[in-house]
Order: sequence, then C-alpha cells, then structure tokens
Amino acid sequence: MPLSAQEESDERSVGAARARSAGRVVLEARGITKRFGTVVANDRIDLTVRAGELHAVLGENGAGKTTLMRILFGELQPDEGEIYLDGQRVRFRSPRDALRHGIGMVHQERKLIPAHTALENIILGHPKTGAILNLREAEREVSTLCERYGFRVPLHAKVWQLSEGEKQIVEILKELYHGARILILDEPTSVLSPPEIVKLLESLTRMAKEDLAVIPFITHKLPVVLEHCDRVTILRRGRVVAEMETQHATEQTLAAAMVGREVVLQLERVQVPLGDPIVRVQDLWVRDDRGLFAVQGLSFEIRAGEILGIAGVAGNGQEPLAEALAGLRPVERGTITLDSIDITHAPVLERWRRGLGYIPTERREVGSIPTFSLVDNVLLNYHFESEFSRWGILASGQARELTERILREYSVVAAGPNAPARSLSGGNLQKVILGRVLARKPRFLIACLPTHGLDVGAAEFVQRKLLEAKQSGTAVLLISEDLDEILALSDRIAAIYEGQFTGIVPVSEASKELVGELMAGLRRERV
Amino acid sequence: MRAVIGGYLIRIERRADLRWWHTTLASVLAIVFSLFLVGFAFLRVGADPLEVYSEIVRYAFLSEFGLPQTINRATFVLLAAFALIVPLRAGLWNIGMPGQIYAATLAAFGIAYAFGAKRSVNVQLPGELIIPLMFLAALAASAVYGAIAGFLRGRFQVNEIVTTMMLNWAMLWIVAHMIREGGPFMGRTAEGEGFTLPTSLRLPQILGLPLTVYIAVALAVVLTWFLAKTTLGYRIRTYGESPRAAEYAGINATRISTLVFALGGLFAGLAGYHYFAAVPGVFKIPKNYADFGDFSFYGLITGLIARNNPIAAIPVAVLFGGVSGGARFMQGKLRLAFGIDYALLGVLMIMMVAFQALAHYSVQVERQAAVPRPQLELERGESRVESPRH
Repeated sequence: MPLSAQEESDERSVGAARARSAGRVVLEARGITKRFGTVVANDRIDLTVRAGELHAVLGENGAGKTTLMRILFGELQPDEGEIYLDGQRVRFRSPRDALRHGIGMVHQERKLIPAHTALENIILGHPKTGAILNLREAEREVSTLCERYGFRVPLHAKVWQLSEGEKQIVEILKELYHGARILILDEPTSVLSPPEIVKLLESLTRMAKEDLAVIPFITHKLPVVLEHCDRVTILRRGRVVAEMETQHATEQTLAAAMVGREVVLQLERVQVPLGDPIVRVQDLWVRDDRGLFAVQGLSFEIRAGEILGIAGVAGNGQEPLAEALAGLRPVERGTITLDSIDITHAPVLERWRRGLGYIPTERREVGSIPTFSLVDNVLLNYHFESEFSRWGILASGQARELTERILREYSVVAAGPNAPARSLSGGNLQKVILGRVLARKPRFLIACLPTHGLDVGAAEFVQRKLLEAKQSGTAVLLISEDLDEILALSDRIAAIYEGQFTGIVPVSEASKELVGELMAGLRRERV
Repeated sequence: MRAVIGGYLIRIERRADLRWWHTTLASVLAIVFSLFLVGFAFLRVGADPLEVYSEIVRYAFLSEFGLPQTINRATFVLLAAFALIVPLRAGLWNIGMPGQIYAATLAAFGIAYAFGAKRSVNVQLPGELIIPLMFLAALAASAVYGAIAGFLRGRFQVNEIVTTMMLNWAMLWIVAHMIREGGPFMGRTAEGEGFTLPTSLRLPQILGLPLTVYIAVALAVVLTWFLAKTTLGYRIRTYGESPRAAEYAGINATRISTLVFALGGLFAGLAGYHYFAAVPGVFKIPKNYADFGDFSFYGLITGLIARNNPIAAIPVAVLFGGVSGGARFMQGKLRLAFGIDYALLGVLMIMMVAFQALAHYSVQVERQAAVPRPQLELERGESRVESPRH
C-alpha cells in the first residue's frame, strides 16, 4: 500500500522534527548500498540516529535489516555510502574496530559461554582483564551499570542457569562494559515474555536518556515499538520506505509500510462443532535435562476441531511437555492416549503413524537440516512410509512431487525443491515444515511457537493454516509465548506456570489481564 | 579479509559452496607444493629431486612389479577409507581400522586353521568351500568387532574414538598371542610370523589382481549410491547432520550407530582379508603387524581428503599406495637415508589436508576502481538476504 498523502507529508516534515530535536546526531549512514551478486540488499539507505533516542529499524525478513546491521557494526563493508560518527567519517574493518568506536551489537543468538558466570562473560575480552583478573573491581563497575539502567541479573550465576531475558541483559551489559555508546540490538523482543519485554524496553529507554543511542531492529511486536520507541525507520526490499516519529504512526500504518500492503491483524475465528476427544493426557510428569520435574501432573484433553492454547513464559515446562507428547522425552508418570490408544511409551514413529504431527520450536536445529535439500527435509516426516521407500530405496519422484506441491500451496519463496534449507528465510522454512506436517493430515497437531520470529505476513499465513487444520477436525495443541496469538487462535487457554496449569479457561472468558496473571503465577483458577 | 597492495584490491572470502573442482585443484596444488618442499630435503642428502620423483613414478606406476603392489596397497587404503567414511557420514569417528582388520584376518585364518591348513603349504583342501567361508567369517568378525563401539556409542553415549582405539590395542595383543612362538597360528619357521596359507585356499585372481581389488572399486560406486539413494543411507546422513532432527524424524540412534560401525568394521575387515589372504606374496600374518595397523590410518587421511566421498577416495588411495611403495623402493635404489620416504608421505598428507581447508576460501584480485562492480562469484549464499540471521 502506498503511504497516504498525510504520511508522505509526515515524512517530509521529519527534517523539521529533526531540527527541533535536542539530541545531537551521533550516527549517520548516508547512501549505504550493498549488493550480493545480483541482489541489492541495501539500496541507498540513509539512517540518522541521535543521542538519547530509541530509534527502531523495522522491516520484514529480507528487507535488508541484517545487512544494514552487519555494515553498521563492521562485519560487512558497504559497496557505496558513508558512515559518520559524531560527524567524523569512519570505516570499520571489523566488529572489534566498530566497538572501539563505541558501537556495540547484541545478536539474536547468544554468544556467551554457558559454563561461566554472567560476570565472567561480561568482562571476557576486555583489555583490563589481560593477565590478572580483578573480579571484585569489575563487579563494582558492572553493578554500577546495572543500577544506572535498572538491570537486574544475578552476576554470579552461571549463564546456563539464566533465562533467555537475563542472557540478553548480560550481552547488553557486556557491550556497555566494553564501552559501547551506540547499541544495536537484533530482534531484542523475540525471545522474551510480555513482562520481560516491558522491563527491557524500560531499561533501554533509561539508557537512551543517558545519552546513549539505542537501535533495535525488529520484525514484529509493533505495539511495543509504538509505545517505547521515539522514531522508526522502515525498510522494504532494501530501501527506506519511511522514517517517522512514532507519535504519528499507528500499528496499521507501520505494518502496511513494512509489508507493502494492507495486513489483516485480526483473524477470523471460526467455531466448528467439537468432535470426540482425540488426545487425553492424565497426570503427566516429565523431567527436564537437569532431572527436575518440569511437567508436574498435567491433565487435559483436546477434541477434534479444537485448539488448546498453552500460554506461559518460556521455560515453564512447555518444551518438555511437547517433547513428551511427541515421544522425544520419557514420561515419568501418567498416561497419554491418542484415539483411546495408550501411547505414553510408544516410540516416535508409532506416534507419527497413529496421526501425530509435531512442529518443533527449533526450526533449524530440530525441524530441518540446513544442508539438506527441501526434498530431503520433507522426507524427515515420510522416510518411514511405504509410498516413499520401496524395497529400501527412496522414492525420490514421489518426494519431489510432494515438495513441489508444498512449495506451491504454501507460496514458499525458494529456488526450487532442491534448494538447501539454509537458503530459506525463517518464515519460508516454517511454511515448508508446516506444509509437510499438515500434508500427513494429522489427528493431533502439536505446534510449538509456530510464528516465533516470523514477519507479519508469514505469521498471518501460518496462523490461517492452523485454523484451517482445526476446521478439518484436527486437535491442535498450540504452545506460544505470544499472548496475542494464543488469544486469537485458541478455543480454550491453559496457563502454565512452573510445570502446572494455573487455569484452563474458554477463550470467551479469557482476557489478556486474566491470562497474564495466570501465566505469572499470581492467581490460580480451578483446573 | 581484504588488503590493498599497489592499487590492487585483494579479497579473501569464505566460499558459500565448495565445488568438486575446487577440492581437486587444491589436491593437485598440494601435491606440487609438497614435492617442492620435500625437494629441499632430497637436495640436502645429495639427491636430485627430479630423479627421485621420476624413480618413484617409474616404479610405482610403470613397472611390472611396482604397479600390482601399488594397486594392492591402494585397495587396502581405499577399503580402510570406506571404514572411516561410512561412520563419518553419521557423524561418528571410526579410529578402529587396525582392530577390525585383524578381527577379520584372525577369523579368516581361524577357518583355514580349523580345516588343517597349518600342516603344509601344499595341503589340498576344497578351496571352493573354504575360501567363501573364510571370506564370510572375516566380514562377520570385523562387523561384530566394529559394531561394539557403535552400540556403546548409540546406547550409552560412550565416546567411539576412545572405544575403537582401546579395541585396537586389545586386538593387536590378541594377534601377538596368536602368531608369536607357541601361539596357535605360529608359522613353521618360528620367526614370529603366522603360518602361510596353503595355495588351495588363496583367493583367485583376475588379470593378476586378487578379486578383492575389483570388489573394492565396485564398492565405491555401490556405497555412493547407497548413501545417496536408499532409505538407510538417508537415515545415516540425517543422523550425521543432526542427531536431534533424526530423533524428531523417528530415527533410532542406537540402530544407526551400530549399523554404521558394523559396516565400517566390515570394510576394514575386507581390507584385512585382502592384504593377508588375497595379495600375492603375503598370504600370512606378518610379524610387523603393527605397521599394517598404522598403514590402515592412511585410509583415515584418504577419507578426509576425499571429503567423505567414496569415489573421490580412489585417486587419493592410489596416490598413497603408489608413493608409499615407490618411495621405499627409491630409497633403497638411490641409497638414501632411512625414513626419507616417510618424510615425503608425511608432508604430502599434511599439505593435502591443509590445502583442503584453504579450498574453502576464494581469492579475488581487483584493480581498485572508483565504482565497485557487483561481485557475482562472491558470497552466493548471501543472496538469502531474507534470513534474519546469518
């Protein structure tokens, strides 16, 4: 959708807004262009960041955010264009070089050493820690940073013990401790629960007030952007399509600018008559990797044509629950039945044959094999079927046909069925995984964080497909950390906290506030 | 990485995808470079490097005695390479070739022994019955000996590298016990060697080469097909790329790791059978049995250089088979210092492995111009600008 005349004029008035703004320009990128082969990833991008502002860069996957980010922190060199720091032209030869100039980067994937403490990770590689480790002095300095910006993180805990949110804070602290004045964050909200997001953004706002510039790069969670950021630059297909102050923007205009068309943010929920219970889980107890009970006596059932949404902050037992249902984790106590057949201890393949479908959280580690072709990735769920393996030889024609059908029906952007999975974006890969699982017409579908990290368009598509599966009579267990998604898709919502349900409520009675409190363990309904 | 030297921009970047000609070129360059390097060593001991190299080539590839020796050694190395490649496709390391080789050898000679083969080289035995029996016993024993490590790995997560190495030592001492003085397989000469296989139990030959040579070459093709096209091959590759994805796909880890080690052991066992029961002029377990254990590790290097590709392993195996025999011959003929043949082999191996790593990088030299051109060859993987993370 083209921007309306009103917004166009807003864009022009940005210059005026700049003049009014008090913060001085700390980082300016002018005409950044980067080509990869024939693809222009960044096309004359301008970005101006002031001290004291929270300036978000928005864009769908593939809009060129990652490339721009890599250029700004010195991992890539632009083909054209200049970068100015405090008015001085700079050229970064490496991320280390960029950090010397005060540009810190917090990646989406964590780059910490799990066996070391948070503090040790923060000070690692700092020139001061050359030969002699003065932990006490370092701790004082890091604690000061924490106090100033309102971060709370146990500095002496080992990193593997920390939640995703805490790990991210450790990374931010690390950059600050190493002298970053401009902080680039890649998808900082993607791994956090709603309360964690609010806390993080409050800290970031405080940092911005302290004359630091913060640039989060975000694909989704638009409401958060509107509430906390001062200004946004929106990229689409490698170009800046808009730069505006958030007070002039709405969720709709942001989404439309990112996607280039009107986006339906509200899905239509269709009620279908519920069928018989397909899945029954009774008093389920499951241990996590550390041997502790992560799932503690859960009981529920899901009927045909029903979506049961599990709402919870990451790490409250959702993952072990899904793995136990899929047969990837042993059940300690309790029973799971599928179509009244006990599958509590059945091997993985037997479950798939009986009608299980499972979309795992980790798309690239568990749900797919990056180096394999899409055909071979589709085979992950079919290699044991007689149509796809005759006399022990793979029926490659069959597999190719199925893959092509999935690519077509799910409008996957890929070079073809033989393209390696690693060449696909997260959204397109998720479509392939979803497509191959749904093509089995599962009786019971487990969908773990199905839209996690996807851009607006792809997320909408995946959600529509889940609703379609439900309408065709599949019993769906939806595990998500995105409360809005749970509320939009589920028929019933079970809130999980420390391995137990704090309540199971029909969606008609569920409000964001109620489920939020249940998720946080602040109240309990009868289950 | 980029550097500007005299107005030229030199970029070194990691290739997104490695093609076969990259690795082939890297191997050829590695050979040339090693010959150049080791040339200095030959000059130092007063030999003309060119004469040395031509001597090696003439013996190993052009002489009546040398060529069959090269082929037989290459077959041994090739089969040992398969023993590495199959488990490595499943992400597991088989360092147990020596143990598996001798498990097969002992089983084959055990069968012969049971039929009274030890009595005399000229004893008449029904070869058409006993030879297949020896062959099958060899394969079975080595497969089982290999499978031990695979099962322990799959079922109890016991590190397969440690297990296979320990099994090597166990087997080497068993061999020592069997062939040394007083051992059941002791030869008549009592020189610490095993007994010689009667002529009636020796594997038939075609064109002067034992059948096992042809089997090995056929296996390269069959293995390539097996890994690429069969369901089991698919499961092995899946497990090798990502054990967690394999588990998700319902692939049984214990079964896969036991299977790949049984297969790996079997190929190593075939190498043992080939060299000690089929290659003309051997037909016994020699007393320098530990040297043959070491020799099987050439297969390990071969597998790595061939990047897990059974067919690509053939030329590499031929190279090592030829150079190892040819260099030894040359060393004797030119009366050079002992061990210089190993120096040549060692440098060759190091260089080939090192150049394989270098093949991952492309070097581009450009004139520094004001307008940068789009680099077509560079970073092809980067065209997936769609991905949020690189």
